[in-house]
Amino acid sequence: MLGKGGKRKFDEHEDGLEGKIVSPSDGPSKVSYTLQRQTIFNISLMKLYNHRPLTEPSLQKTVLINNMLRRIQEELKQEGSLRPAFPASSPPADPLGSSYREAPPAFSHPAPAPCELGGAAPLEACLTPASLLEDDQDTFCTSPAAQPAAPARLAPPALPPEKDSFSSALDEIEELCPTSTSMEAAEATTDDPKGDSGGPGAQRPEGLQDGRPDDPKLMDSLPGNFEITTSTGFLTDLTLDDILFADIDTSMYDFDPCTSASGTSSKMSPVSADDLLKTLAPYSSQPVAPSQPFKMDLTELDHIMEVLVGS
Amino acid sequence: MVLQPSERHYGDWNHRRLGPWCSPTGSPAPLSCETGCGEGSWILVCRLLVPTQVSLLSMEEDIDTRKINNSFLRDHSYATEADIISTVEFNHTGELLATGDKGGRVVIFQREQESKNQVHRRGEYNVYSTFQSHEPEFDYLKSLEIEEKINKIRWLPQQNAAYFLLSTNDKTVKLWKVSERDKRPEGYNLKDEEGRLRDPATITTLRVPVLRPMDLMVEATPRRVFANAHTYHINSISVNSDYETYMSADDLRINLWNFEITNQSFNIVDIKPANMEELTEVITAAEFHPHHCNTFVYSSSKGTIRLCDMRASALCDRHTKFFEEPEDPSNRSFFSEIISSISDVKFSHSGRYIMTRDYLTVKVWDLNMENRPIETYQVHDYLRSKLCSLYENDCIFDKFECVWNGSDSVIMTGSYNNFFRMFDRNTKRDVTLEASRENSKPRAILKPRKVCVGGKRRKDEISVDSLDFSKKILHTAWHPSENIIAVAATNNLYIFQDKVN
Repeated sequence: MLGKGGKRKFDEHEDGLEGKIVSPSDGPSKVSYTLQRQTIFNISLMKLYNHRPLTEPSLQKTVLINNMLRRIQEELKQEGSLRPAFPASSPPADPLGSSYREAPPAFSHPAPAPCELGGAAPLEACLTPASLLEDDQDTFCTSPAAQPAAPARLAPPALPPEKDSFSSALDEIEELCPTSTSMEAAEATTDDPKGDSGGPGAQRPEGLQDGRPDDPKLMDSLPGNFEITTSTGFLTDLTLDDILFADIDTSMYDFDPCTSASGTSSKMSPVSADDLLKTLAPYSSQPVAPSQPFKMDLTELDHIMEVLVGS
Repeated sequence: MVLQPSERHYGDWNHRRLGPWCSPTGSPAPLSCETGCGEGSWILVCRLLVPTQVSLLSMEEDIDTRKINNSFLRDHSYATEADIISTVEFNHTGELLATGDKGGRVVIFQREQESKNQVHRRGEYNVYSTFQSHEPEFDYLKSLEIEEKINKIRWLPQQNAAYFLLSTNDKTVKLWKVSERDKRPEGYNLKDEEGRLRDPATITTLRVPVLRPMDLMVEATPRRVFANAHTYHINSISVNSDYETYMSADDLRINLWNFEITNQSFNIVDIKPANMEELTEVITAAEFHPHHCNTFVYSSSKGTIRLCDMRASALCDRHTKFFEEPEDPSNRSFFSEIISSISDVKFSHSGRYIMTRDYLTVKVWDLNMENRPIETYQVHDYLRSKLCSLYENDCIFDKFECVWNGSDSVIMTGSYNNFFRMFDRNTKRDVTLEASRENSKPRAILKPRKVCVGGKRRKDEISVDSLDFSKKILHTAWHPSENIIAVAATNNLYIFQDKVN
């Protein structure tokens, strides 16, 4: 991504990455803005949950990342309240997932068979989304301005399934926090696995129609989730985080190819481990898990979550 | 004693050709990047490595620390993580230069004394003292380590033969006394020369011990330990101009200490919200005014600076002045807030201005004008289009420091790829130099560097994509009265001097 003193030719870099990704000739700037925002949101979440440092994480860094997440969340909220209602096939119960489903509609046209792209290309694209996006001028403005068309460089279908399972896993972790709002989130996410069970291919058409209508409803729960995240995360003196997450091996959130493939099962509760392994698989360049076992694990997940929720 | 810039006596500067950014009068000499040759240029005086293994070596073989330093100047690279320099500071005369590293060690260098035989050696710094200031600790309540990394060193003005400095890690501030011993008593009655007790029966005469000269020994002793006053990580310490008090600032609070009292401190700023979830801003740096002992400033992660007067109230939560520049709407991005976070704030020597460093710029503010800075200098604006990558790899959170020269006419700060930048406030010229082993031989003139943004890359230019973001210059220091600078690049300390003709 960023050279360590080695000289790369700018042209090679461009060609190499563009070759792997199907890019439309003309992408609306709004779409690329949304994609950037999504990427930054994703990166921010990764940063917050990623490493378990031996020393206390820097409060300044945490606060800045939190502010970034809040801002994006605010924007989504505003956009959600402004957009007209779309027909919805199934309620995307996962609030975080909905923001990612927003992206696919734009990209689905130029990418007819994105699921055929396989594991490798979207993975690397996902691993280096930022540098790709940066080659565009003025891409990171808060208000999408008229710009030269930025070719969509990320394979969009790769994003939603991972994010969904990622975010649902996130919600599961939040369930560990004994607050009432988290219970709501738990309720919400029990629907999510079912929604995901269609697999990446089936999901996309849903994504096309899902869009906005449920956002207003979900946005209400979103701040709640986020607040839980922050309160149990990094802004309290007591670092409840340490006590609650001590047993969770968050190395699975580490998207470094070297470590991502490492065993995640040992410390994790079975529910999250399976789920996160699915999340992990794409990032470790292994072939994407077929949807069938995915579905089975999700029903298992479902069951266990019901137990956790205390039905 | 405070000298206005015009009053300062520059000594024999008149006999030397001055660099354009240091000349007190007259028209500036052409910058070397324009002429390509050495008028008004910087040369490398010495490159020092923090002597990691000094203590081990000296146990095995009896080696003088100065010899060790010289041998370290040759290509040893004990580049362990503990050697990464985390702070650099000249003392008030510039005779001593202190560095702190990630391993909790403080190394003090002393300037080589001027001698007629070796005039050119003046300006070199040699190891004077090394000591372990902080040890790693463990916070049992949170199950987290407390790093021993030295965040800041601040010297006290010299009041007697000994030198005093404050060093701090994330949680604890210590006052160290560095003193020389060059005489030792000899001729004890009850002990022999090796220190063994003599059998009283063998003592037949009495003698008075006398002081005899010995090899110079520099010893550092901790005189005060100021602990347990900070819940969050200490980012700054600043000695007050009354020389009786100092302040320590962490992410949310600033405490005022008296040097004599270690079990108590006064809290003077507290920005912790009642509900931590509402926290959106932290303190990033703080400093006392150089002359007014009641005034200090602190900067925040939102790009604001607050000036407070301790006479107004005991708790200075309400500022006296508030410095903030309105956001430029054309530059707005997702990262606007993060890049506006101020990483360092420094008063000018005159006390009239403050300088702040945020991720991409250095700004000079007049204390009398709060609504915008009087000068803004772009440090590495070519990174503006790379912010997302820099966010991803955490480089966007790097905390660069900035320094004034002795006359407040030039400011300096670091960048990536071992580059550092100097800006002349009078001529408005700037230069980019590199602190690296490959590119500088001792006494060789530093060649100005240029980063090319796009399109054709000229010879000797380096493209943005080739920059090494792991080589960052975060810490620099400028001699209080001369054109000597210290630049810390990872575990190397470079000392550059304005070329003497």
